[in-house]
Amino acid sequence: MKFKANMNYLLSEGGIGIILVLLFLFFAVTTPHFASFQNISNIFTQISINTIISVGMTFVILLGGIDLSVGSLLALCSVAAGMVMSKGTLSPCLSIFIAVFLSIVIGMFVGLANGAISEKWKIHSFIVTLGMLNITRGMALQVSNSRTFFDFPAGFNSFGNINIVGLPIIFVIALLLVILGQIVLTRTVFGRMLIAIGNNEESVRLSGHNTALYKVLAFVICGASVGIAAIMYMLRLNIASPILGVGFELNAIAAVVIGGTSMNGGKGSLLGTFLGACIMGVLNNGLLLIGLGDFARQIVTGLIIILAVILDRYRNSFSARLREA
Amino acid sequence: MSKHLKCSAVLIFLIIAALFAIGQVHLREGRPHRVTVALVMKSLANEFFLTMEQGARDHHMNNAERYDLLIYGIKDEQAVSQQIHIVEQLMAIDVDAIIIAPADSKALVPVCQRAMASGVAVVNIDNKFDATVIAERGLHIPFVGPDNYQGAKAAGDYLADHLSSGNQVAIIEGIPSAYNSQQRCLGFRKAMDDAGIIIVDTRPALWEMDRSYTTVISILNEHRNVRALLCANDNMALGAAAAVKAASKRNSMYIIGFDNISAVNNELKKGDILATVDQHAALIAVNGIEMALSMLNGEDVDLVCTTPVELVTAYE
Repeated sequence: MKFKANMNYLLSEGGIGIILVLLFLFFAVTTPHFASFQNISNIFTQISINTIISVGMTFVILLGGIDLSVGSLLALCSVAAGMVMSKGTLSPCLSIFIAVFLSIVIGMFVGLANGAISEKWKIHSFIVTLGMLNITRGMALQVSNSRTFFDFPAGFNSFGNINIVGLPIIFVIALLLVILGQIVLTRTVFGRMLIAIGNNEESVRLSGHNTALYKVLAFVICGASVGIAAIMYMLRLNIASPILGVGFELNAIAAVVIGGTSMNGGKGSLLGTFLGACIMGVLNNGLLLIGLGDFARQIVTGLIIILAVILDRYRNSFSARLREA
Repeated sequence: MSKHLKCSAVLIFLIIAALFAIGQVHLREGRPHRVTVALVMKSLANEFFLTMEQGARDHHMNNAERYDLLIYGIKDEQAVSQQIHIVEQLMAIDVDAIIIAPADSKALVPVCQRAMASGVAVVNIDNKFDATVIAERGLHIPFVGPDNYQGAKAAGDYLADHLSSGNQVAIIEGIPSAYNSQQRCLGFRKAMDDAGIIIVDTRPALWEMDRSYTTVISILNEHRNVRALLCANDNMALGAAAAVKAASKRNSMYIIGFDNISAVNNELKKGDILATVDQHAALIAVNGIEMALSMLNGEDVDLVCTTPVELVTAYE
């Protein structure tokens, strides 16, 4: 029994962790600079934005939905926050506070719209968020007049360079959000409901629960995470631009899928998503250091995503056989 | 925390600690240090940067004893964060110099500042860093590139010879926040204003061919009397040419490009594109590398090295 339990564990999060360690080991041995402190710090910084977006994306994918608008929404949130901070009419502290608040509120509002439209008219979130992807990108370009904002308060720009126990502040915030998300998912009624809806929406609905409310809230959480990611990205770049975030939705979906969350919903965890984001970050970083060109890196990353899903299939069937044995 | 999680966490921590140690040993046992120069370009989907890459490779082949060359590009013109990642990683592997054509004139400044602070020589090529941001941070980054304004003005003047005062034209920008796009548009504007030609619309197509196609289709629907399209690069000029053909306006429309990539040769020959501007991509890379090597030798370098631009009006 103990062996079975251990095997089942290894086949879930443990399996993804082992893949991550093996990847790390491979690059550390083959690439001289990969395991240097500076490069590890780079990896932490580089995975932070994707991790934060992936936290929200996990909630949506757990329901069997998807949010394609996150990249464009990040651009819209950053432009709105950038406009507030670069005006110079408000005091630095107040402008930073309003910018952060505005970014998160815009994210939540767009998430609310995504969830409400797909629930009200029973349209798959793929279609709704595909439309929203264009709307938010267009709005970002429109309100900014295609310009980049950069003259933010000095306090804001320097905040992004803070390290806590050697870890970049952006990474620490991403880590806290993963932990918070995992607690919400595993220790609250809301989290358990999401998983239950992802497994069998009809039975949850028949048991008297308002499934639409939970689904809309999942999109709102996804939007809020994008709002936070936009601020983190601005801390990292010291600019806000309407062309930011192109393709981020695919990186987030990839991290969630590699992390073992089922695209059909009902199965997954934020710890897995975090490990998935780490695998993508380590892969991008390592392949670049090995000297692989950008096109080859894209091919390898694509292969890894497909491989992860295939392994997930095997893992599920093996896990099921173990339970039956 | 479950027993499983604790065991896994300890195991992963121990393995990573061991790998850190391996990494440090690797660094200490590294080969004797040679000067390493990294060329960081924009979209490798744009032929202009492939020409630049070839120029850098040819120069390295003839000067292999002087330096090692690393070449990086990004997947498209908008992959700003990807370019930032590349610069961060180049700092981690201790390159001596970074020659960068920034995807955004402002966004790449902070990371380049960090690179300079860590002792890396930085040379800016092709697309100039934003002067305000540079001044604000008290930086002095040498620039190697063409006079985009003059190049665009020459192309605009040539177009003006084919039009009459009062005719309508439209401008297709690259990424509006990019310095080279701004300068080229200013050059186009100046030429049109001097000739009394009316600019009815200016829209960004982010340097990309397909975006230019859809933008131009929209412009042609909105402004029926437009006689010419001034595009800030050749990729967008090719997109514009395709849109003009689709709208059956091929014989009544002039198109101007910028870059002189080989893909426009046929279009020039057929008359679908009236003119482009050659800014000698290979020479920009070579001058950038030479400037970086001079900086590493402790020599004083000029803050601006202007490379030649040349109006190209027919395939030779």
